[in-house]
Amino acid sequence: MLGLIVVIAFVFYFLIWVSVNAQLQAVKNGTLPVPAGGTTQLEQTLRQIAPDRVAQFGVSVVAGLGSVMLIVFAASHVGTEFGWGTFRTLLAHGASRSGFLVSKAVSLVLYAVVFMIVGSIAAIAASYTVSAVAGISPGSGVDFAEVARVAVKSGYTFLPYMALALAIAVWSKSAGAGIATGLVVYFAESIVAGILVSLNKDYAQIVNWGLSRNASALTRTVSGQAGPTSQDPTASTLPDPTQAAIVLGIYCAIFLVLAYWRLRSRDVTVGG
Amino acid sequence: MTVQPQEVVLRTKGLAKRFGSITAVDGLDLEVRRGEVVGLLGPNGAGKSTTIGMVLGLITPTAGTAEVLGRDVGVRREDALAGVGAMLEVTSFYPYLSGRDNLAAVALLRGGGALARVDPLLTRLGLAQRGGSKFRTYSLGMRQRLGIASTLLADPALVILDEPANGLDPAGQREIRELIRELASENRGVLLASHLLYEVEQVCDRVLVIKKGKLIASGTLAEVTRGGSSYFEIVVGDKARAAQILRGLGVKEIRETPTGLDVVAEAERGAELNRALASAGVYASALIPRASSLEDVFIELTEPEAPSAPPAS
Repeated sequence: MLGLIVVIAFVFYFLIWVSVNAQLQAVKNGTLPVPAGGTTQLEQTLRQIAPDRVAQFGVSVVAGLGSVMLIVFAASHVGTEFGWGTFRTLLAHGASRSGFLVSKAVSLVLYAVVFMIVGSIAAIAASYTVSAVAGISPGSGVDFAEVARVAVKSGYTFLPYMALALAIAVWSKSAGAGIATGLVVYFAESIVAGILVSLNKDYAQIVNWGLSRNASALTRTVSGQAGPTSQDPTASTLPDPTQAAIVLGIYCAIFLVLAYWRLRSRDVTVGG
Repeated sequence: MTVQPQEVVLRTKGLAKRFGSITAVDGLDLEVRRGEVVGLLGPNGAGKSTTIGMVLGLITPTAGTAEVLGRDVGVRREDALAGVGAMLEVTSFYPYLSGRDNLAAVALLRGGGALARVDPLLTRLGLAQRGGSKFRTYSLGMRQRLGIASTLLADPALVILDEPANGLDPAGQREIRELIRELASENRGVLLASHLLYEVEQVCDRVLVIKKGKLIASGTLAEVTRGGSSYFEIVVGDKARAAQILRGLGVKEIRETPTGLDVVAEAERGAELNRALASAGVYASALIPRASSLEDVFIELTEPEAPSAPPAS
């Protein structure tokens, strides 16, 4: 999975350059008509691959893919223990149920941290490489502090989704159920929340207690002008970032407590 | 000189488990002492695996307690299981790890000197050559061996083996029987759940027979088989006439066999039966006293409702 995110980062940067550059060339050659606002927007898009934009662009790409990949990983990390029957074997050899859950949760957090570190480094490397190939100015270079800040916030937003996938995997004793539920909540909730707030901003009072709106609030940059939600017309109704962090933390705790409660009370027969 | 009773390593008191309206285990009292092999017998669904599950803290009892080395599993599970090595009926390890790495993973969980026992145990169980192969490539017999090896990592006082000979060839089964006796000679208590009655007969000092979750017989092999009826195998041509004569002597249970009759009667009545047949001109070519085997007793105890062969007319 770590190797995959490195490859994806490079491929993504390369594809952006190739596709935007091809459009620019086509406009210059007259193959494509000149857009209404000229080529400024295309050139701005091309600028996104410059190293000074890694915090806003590259890390966001890594975070977007990472959330999906880590939901899959979290559910598999726990669900396979039931599928293989190794949970039962571990318990029979003296492992405690709480120890099992804590070790799984800690390893998932560590994996998310490693994932964001590797993903961010890959985004930086891809940005420098493709910029050099494309002849794009690196500008002021990478703002490592900003990259770290965005990466930490993005990584934090993964945690409740991972905890949800873990809890469902424990309840259902199935990696598939954890993956499906985690992904459905991840995609469907943000779509439904977006539609509701677009229809009536008062709905924000309700949907702002969900996962997606709080995750979006947290991943906005300080200026609120860039980052994954910069294009969101409902961004002004997002909750306060501090409140968002607290709500996401509470969700993590709730999901882990539910997982522990089920794990503790379950009779472990065949498998788990 | 007085013989000191061996330390009890496993004791259950009134152990019970109900799943909804089904009573899987019903007030089970059992003991396993150091240095003895205790066989846990019962038909499918008798409650053997549920009992083992409760002893290991995998299943919460509805009532009763299980103590390992004096520690209540329900209260101090991790402490209690520190002295237990258990192999469950379905041996499960990480498929992507080698046998050696799987044992190492369990050894890390166990702590102490368990890690140092990994390679000696692979050798002892005949897996040294394949220790580096992935678990998913193991045959059923190799998986069983690895499961048994994992039980010994913690140098346990109590070893619980649930169908350890599953999937093993005859030579492998014999090795496991020898290993089980070795474990007892190392002053460990062994609880062996098995369907292979001849295996139990060969290695167990005591047996416990459970049916529908209840203990229906227990004791040494001699004690348990004594409870079964003795009978005579009579090889005779005219089965119907012979059966009629024997019924006249008050024999109630007579089963027809391909070569003659099996007649349930006290061992000392052999001469009387033979004389009665001969007096009536029915000559038996053989009259062999048979003692009930564990298998006979097991079937008698656990399948009383099973229809018996029609009596000879």
